[in-house]
Amino acid sequence: MRRLSHRRVAAVSLAMLGLWLLLVLLSLNIGSVPIGPGRSAGLLWHRLLHGGGGTPAEVILFSVRLPRILLGSLVGAALAVAGTAFQCLLRNPLADPYVLGVSTGASMGTIIYSILAASSGSLAASGAGIYGRPLAAFLGAVMTVAAVYVVGGAGRQAGEGSQRLLLAGVVLASFLSSVNVFLLTGTDQADLRGIFYWLIGDLSRPVDASIYLVAAVVFGGFLILYGHGQSLNLLSAGEEDALILGVEVRRVKAAVYLVASLITGAVVSVSGPIAYIGLICPHLGRMLFGSDNRILLPAVLVFGAIFTLGADTVARTVLAPVELPVGVITAICGAPLFIYLLYRRRYP
Amino acid sequence: MMPPHAAGAALEARNVGFSYAALELKDICLSLAPGTITGIVGPNGSGKTTLLRLLDGILAPASGQVLLNGSVPLSALSRREIARRIAMVPQNGGGSPFHTVFQFAMQGRTPHLPRLGFETAADEAVVREALEMTRLGDYLHARVAEISGGEKQRLLLARALAQQPEILLLDEFTANLDINFQVELMRLIRQLTRERRLATAAVSHEINLLAAFCDRIVLMKEGRIRRQGSVAEVLTRDNLRKLFGLDFLVRPLPSGVPEVLPVMDESGQS
Repeated sequence: MRRLSHRRVAAVSLAMLGLWLLLVLLSLNIGSVPIGPGRSAGLLWHRLLHGGGGTPAEVILFSVRLPRILLGSLVGAALAVAGTAFQCLLRNPLADPYVLGVSTGASMGTIIYSILAASSGSLAASGAGIYGRPLAAFLGAVMTVAAVYVVGGAGRQAGEGSQRLLLAGVVLASFLSSVNVFLLTGTDQADLRGIFYWLIGDLSRPVDASIYLVAAVVFGGFLILYGHGQSLNLLSAGEEDALILGVEVRRVKAAVYLVASLITGAVVSVSGPIAYIGLICPHLGRMLFGSDNRILLPAVLVFGAIFTLGADTVARTVLAPVELPVGVITAICGAPLFIYLLYRRRYP
Repeated sequence: MMPPHAAGAALEARNVGFSYAALELKDICLSLAPGTITGIVGPNGSGKTTLLRLLDGILAPASGQVLLNGSVPLSALSRREIARRIAMVPQNGGGSPFHTVFQFAMQGRTPHLPRLGFETAADEAVVREALEMTRLGDYLHARVAEISGGEKQRLLLARALAQQPEILLLDEFTANLDINFQVELMRLIRQLTRERRLATAAVSHEINLLAAFCDRIVLMKEGRIRRQGSVAEVLTRDNLRKLFGLDFLVRPLPSGVPEVLPVMDESGQS
């Protein structure tokens, strides 16, 4: 095992970013209107240097495909990082924001906010309009984490604790997603297909200005988690050991739960609950780069972006011209991996 | 009994009180001096582990204080600052089963690293030395899940040594060890205690092992210290009978160390 250093972390992160950039260029060219790689790279270059024009090709590239590519990357990065954090805290490789119900809780927050906003037009008109959605999603996420803790943590013994929390999360997730369907059916919504897609996790809906807040939350949250890398390493060895080795366990746990819920809530408010990204990406990241969070977190940040962008590109092309929600593709990849991990897991 | 406020103590509990579920620790006065080993003996549930956790600052005393170097209360220090100076070998150490032995022991260096920093070659040297001393040099790349209970116990000691502490707290340290490793590791602990001027405290049920290697013995029962002092002073038939409610045979070995045998034979009861 080679020793970690700032240089190695930077090298891995840059290599991953290069890979992501390649995939961005590739994904720009894929779609119902074929635009060759040379042409799109040229247009991109021209736009960066001289600003944009209004040709149909440019509209497709920069108003349709590029925002969606960036959105998918942001959502994937956030969910992968949140999954890594949850897995460390619960000491369980099966934990992720979706399995734990955090994503579903966040989407419930979003739905309730939308219903309230629709019934009182003033809410949407006021300044809360932009930030209300992510805030409501965050509240939904945090309340779900708290509920998972109350349900799964009751009378827990050391060792079985994380299994119970996970089980509580799974049950809560299925409960909340039924509540979500109930809430949505009760409202007078024209766009049933859009809602149905969003509930599975979808990147095709246009975003508003709140995306800047979401991006700031994701990157700020990532930096906070990265700052706790050493503590997360020790926490994954056990709480008593972490205390002995110098971690302020209560403070770190609270901070990491809050930040992981915050970034989950932020992206779910835009994309809906996308399954299993937070499970697959940390797991593959660990296979490639080891379990040290000081390299895993930055690697997984980019890896999440790559994976989700790849999945979304498949989602919008595999049945073209019909587009699938990205959550279908991630679940098709993720569920078998979950089962494999469950099957292979050795209990110490 | 020695005076509770000893000069030159590395770690000192002053009138510490703490209550937890059915257990109440009261008026704990104890000092650990550099270069000495203190053995802590008592029946199950007498508060030995709780005492060690108070001494490591993991639990905060409800009354009284735990002082480092006679003046700095642990409550004034961060966990990180404490971990640079106090190492504990816990009774049931955790650890990710997927870590290698080397990675696990390396965790002991974390409190010494800069916040966003990484381990250096110097840190690796410290860890390698600790693993050599605990006879784990051949297992560096074995997974923690694959090693035996005794090897895990030695690994926990290696991690504690990698912390380069001034104070070493050992909880039921010999529980999973063969008799030969019990003796070998107690020898190592005594050697390190003397050479590095560690203040060491060891909780164990192996009274004879503690008698052979400790400088002082503390007897605990029901959350209180009943006796403390030199090995020969404390490990008497009378004291042990009061502690465990069982008759003991106590005889001095040629070295002067008492040897203790519980009387288990019904017919031999006096």
